[in-house]
Amino acid sequence: MNETPPTESRDLTESNAPATQAKPLVIEEPGSEGTFRVGVGSRLYFMLFGAVVLMGGATALAYFTFNETLTHEVRLSEYSMPNLINSVDVARKSAIVVNGAFRLVSASSKEEHTAVVEATAREIASLENTILELEARSAFGEQTRLIRSHLEELGTHLDAIKQSSARRLDIDQALHVFIEELGETSRRVERLLVQAIDDQAFYLVSGLRRLDDKVDSIRKRASEDELTAYRNLITVNQSANLAVLLLDEVLVLADRQFLTPLEERFDSAVRNFMHAYANLPDSMHNDRLEENLARLGEIGEGPEGVIVLRQEALLRLEQEQHTLAQARTTSESLVSEVNNLVAQINEEAIQSSEAARGSAQTGILLLILLNVSGTVGAFALGSLFVRRYLVRRLVGLASAMREMASGDLEVPIQVEGHDIVKPERSSPKYFTRNIKYLVWNDEVTDMARALEVFRRYAHEVQRLNLVEKLAKELDAKNENLEQALENLKAAQEQVIAEQKLSSLGQLTAGVAHEIKNPLNFVSNFANVSIELADEIEELMKQEENLDIAEIKSILDELRTSLGKIKEHGKRADNIVRSMLEHSRSKEGEWRKTNLNALLKQYVDLSYHALRAEDNSFNAEMKENLDRDMEEIVVVPQDICRVFLNLVTNAFQAMNEKLKKVDGDYAPVLSISSRQLEDRVEFCIRDNGPGISEEVRDKIFEPFVTTKEPGKGTGLGLSLTTDILLRHGGSVQVDTAVGHYTEMRVLLPLEPPDEARSDTENETE
Amino acid sequence: MTMRMILLFLVVAATPWVPARAESDQQTIVFGQSAALTGPARALGIGMRLGLHAAFSEVNREGGVHDYRLRLESLDDRYEPEAAIANTLTLIEQHKVFALIGAVGTPTSKSAQPVATEAGVPYIAPFTGAEFLRDAEKRPNVVNVRASYYQETEEMVVRLHDDLGINRISIFYQNDSFGQAGLNGLRRAVNRHGLSLIEEVYYTRNTEAVKIALLDLRRANAEAVVIVGAYKPAATMIRWARRLKFNPYFINISFIGSAALAKALGPDGTGVYVTQVVPFPRDTTLPIVAQYQEALRAVDAHSKPSFVSLEGYLAGRIAIEGLRLAGQAPTRESFLQALVQAGDIDLGGFHLRYGVDDNQGSDRVYLTRIDRRGRFQSVDKMSAP
Repeated sequence: MNETPPTESRDLTESNAPATQAKPLVIEEPGSEGTFRVGVGSRLYFMLFGAVVLMGGATALAYFTFNETLTHEVRLSEYSMPNLINSVDVARKSAIVVNGAFRLVSASSKEEHTAVVEATAREIASLENTILELEARSAFGEQTRLIRSHLEELGTHLDAIKQSSARRLDIDQALHVFIEELGETSRRVERLLVQAIDDQAFYLVSGLRRLDDKVDSIRKRASEDELTAYRNLITVNQSANLAVLLLDEVLVLADRQFLTPLEERFDSAVRNFMHAYANLPDSMHNDRLEENLARLGEIGEGPEGVIVLRQEALLRLEQEQHTLAQARTTSESLVSEVNNLVAQINEEAIQSSEAARGSAQTGILLLILLNVSGTVGAFALGSLFVRRYLVRRLVGLASAMREMASGDLEVPIQVEGHDIVKPERSSPKYFTRNIKYLVWNDEVTDMARALEVFRRYAHEVQRLNLVEKLAKELDAKNENLEQALENLKAAQEQVIAEQKLSSLGQLTAGVAHEIKNPLNFVSNFANVSIELADEIEELMKQEENLDIAEIKSILDELRTSLGKIKEHGKRADNIVRSMLEHSRSKEGEWRKTNLNALLKQYVDLSYHALRAEDNSFNAEMKENLDRDMEEIVVVPQDICRVFLNLVTNAFQAMNEKLKKVDGDYAPVLSISSRQLEDRVEFCIRDNGPGISEEVRDKIFEPFVTTKEPGKGTGLGLSLTTDILLRHGGSVQVDTAVGHYTEMRVLLPLEPPDEARSDTENETE
Repeated sequence: MTMRMILLFLVVAATPWVPARAESDQQTIVFGQSAALTGPARALGIGMRLGLHAAFSEVNREGGVHDYRLRLESLDDRYEPEAAIANTLTLIEQHKVFALIGAVGTPTSKSAQPVATEAGVPYIAPFTGAEFLRDAEKRPNVVNVRASYYQETEEMVVRLHDDLGINRISIFYQNDSFGQAGLNGLRRAVNRHGLSLIEEVYYTRNTEAVKIALLDLRRANAEAVVIVGAYKPAATMIRWARRLKFNPYFINISFIGSAALAKALGPDGTGVYVTQVVPFPRDTTLPIVAQYQEALRAVDAHSKPSFVSLEGYLAGRIAIEGLRLAGQAPTRESFLQALVQAGDIDLGGFHLRYGVDDNQGSDRVYLTRIDRRGRFQSVDKMSAP
């Protein structure tokens, strides 16, 4: 990456190939004929100008919109609203005027009547003013003319009702006075008559008029005159009572038609009691009674009496109701005209208000559009000119400078910028040609170019210094490394030697046992051979009778015995040889080896080694070895160490468990092998205590052991791993705590490269 | 409803009463009276006013009650119910009276008392024995002094029946609510003795048209005529009866106006009985009567003791007693409650007792008879002339 120059600078250098060859660190300034450049300043001024133009446009639009809205508002407030208010006022006042007529008819007192008259007159005057105002302001000629004519008509009705009801109220007042007088008069009449009747009735029975009178004779007191007088008194009383009742009825009567019959009955009642009174004897004539009776008649029938007044009142009421009905019709027309007017004016106001709202909405919409487009434009301009093609480049330059300051001169500076091609005459491609290079040649390009030149110089100088320094440092480090490597190798060898010695020690007892066996045979057959030799010597002493056949058979036996000695001697020799083979430190000898045999041999060795140490230990062996397994190329000395380590571990683990549980436990070691597609597998499985989880992860690390101090180096499994790695193989653990541990060794059929060369050498 | 609850109601409903300031340093408690000061019943109204005036003057002379001076505001209702209502309203609203006192007559009381009850103003000692005023539950603000008409008529029947063995009893009554009250009482009383009225006759109010009624009584051969009416028609009727030599026992109810009756009857009055609800006004052996006569003389040296003014005096005295018992700052409620809780009130030998369900102080009915000289005698029993 560092070595590859950026395409941009490569382009530049290539386009100016001759110059670069002469002065490779200088970058040629662009600016050929037919091009010109637009500076940062010009672009900023252009942007600012664009913003100002947008703002100006918005202001102009806002001004136009507000002006339009204002015009409508002015129309609404100066023309439509007052009209609307006036029309509503007309409606309200019309209602009051119409209502006035009803209130006049139903007024129950003079005060109420006057108040209503005054209020109605005020409303009519005010209504006329309002209509005049309306007329002055606008052209509702037809409506206002109609309203005015209805109003005049209504005024006429109102006047009629006003006068009539005023008179009616006067009558009511007069009637009220009559009612009280009637009550008093009737009570006085009743009292006087009750007394007179009581007196006369008593006289008729007792013949006494006064306490100190003498009792009149029955003839005198029961005379026709006295009885007639009594009858007339009763008639006066009855008729007077009837007259009062009739007047009460007249006073509450609502229907004018029934007045005439009542009047007739009253007239007859009055005639009755006046007639009866006139017929009373002079002694019973009483001025107060006469006066009150006459008054009773007057109250009823007088020219200004109850009946006449009541008649007039009822008549007036009827007429008023009639006028009221007319007024209602007129007022309905008036109200409907007023409603028309209100509706028209309302319509107009709604139109004005709609227009104002419309223009305001249009203005708002346009302003929003302008605003959005202005914002988008400003954003685009900002993003294009400022962020993308100016700020980004400046930031790039700044970070490049920072890197250079921190000593990193590797990254080349991006030099961007294109010349604007001057317009050729009527060239349609002028714009498109220039617009595709949005990064134009400007001051930033200049800065970048200058910085790049500086960087190259500095870089060259730095590189020279650095190479020298590195060379020295490398030498020193190499020496150190070699020294360390040697130390390491020495240490490694020592470790391996120690391990070898350790395994040798472990094997010694096993080997001794192996040797002891053939040696016993040798010893026994040697004794047999001596005895056989002695027998032959005995036979040979009998010179005559020499039984050759017997000797021959003994000699055959002797031969057989000696053969056995030889056989077992060879066997011991083999054992010792293999021992020597094991200990002889001829390293890294790759050979084709029968690994099954090797495994078996080391199982025996290890078992006997442990038995030699602890003869109480017994273990059952199970084997399932693949007889057809190929021999594979390994370093047998290394692999046997692997087997020895694994098997010894297994026996020791089982022995440990045996010691701990000392019950039904029977140690079993199973070994098996099989050939897979490209490798072979050996399993060494014990039914020992297993390996706990925390230990399992660490068993292949060096210096880790679970054995008692002095029993293990902690290197066994670590070395095993190393050895197997060298052979391209591996070892896997499968274990269950308390049940078993199985170690699986895998080795490839094909030996690694190192072995191949070794074996090749061997074959050579 | 118990009296306690009624009082509680009063506390809530009553218009607050603020004593009006008098000219002097002492505050004044004003009592209002609406009674007939003119018209046929004027003797009663004037008599009551005199008695009240005597009682108030007496206590004011002694320094008032709890430093309050008492004043009586009397308005004339001419024995007309409408006027009684108007007066009562005027007294409550304009004169801001503490209580109403000494009203005269059954129809007037019947109209005015609901006004006072609605306003929570005590209605003390109306000059009537009508039964409806004795309903303490509906009229918790009413304080009666006198025995009821029922008790008077009961006493009449007991005396007629027990003392004289008379069974043919009839009634002559005024055709209005007063007469009706007397009629109801008498009917009850005779029924209780296993009798019935042999004749019931009436006359029209404010007239003397009584003679036809008299003829009916004579036809029925009544041995005794109980009169529930005004003194004038009663006197007329009795005099005509004497003229016809029809001489049953005439017994008048207390409302009659004893002095006026005796005067109107003249010599014809001999042997006419009147039941009274106050002690005999000349019986100075009773301390209260002695005090009354002294108080009366103090306000009017020429006036003679009468049953009516004695009743007025007693009304005044019970009002004073109520104020005394109500404590330093008496309110309408505390005044009423004080009387209810006072137990036996002894006004110099005249005993009163109020209770939670009892707004009538005295149950005593006294019997009097007009002697040959046209003067009243206090009698215990009736006797043949």
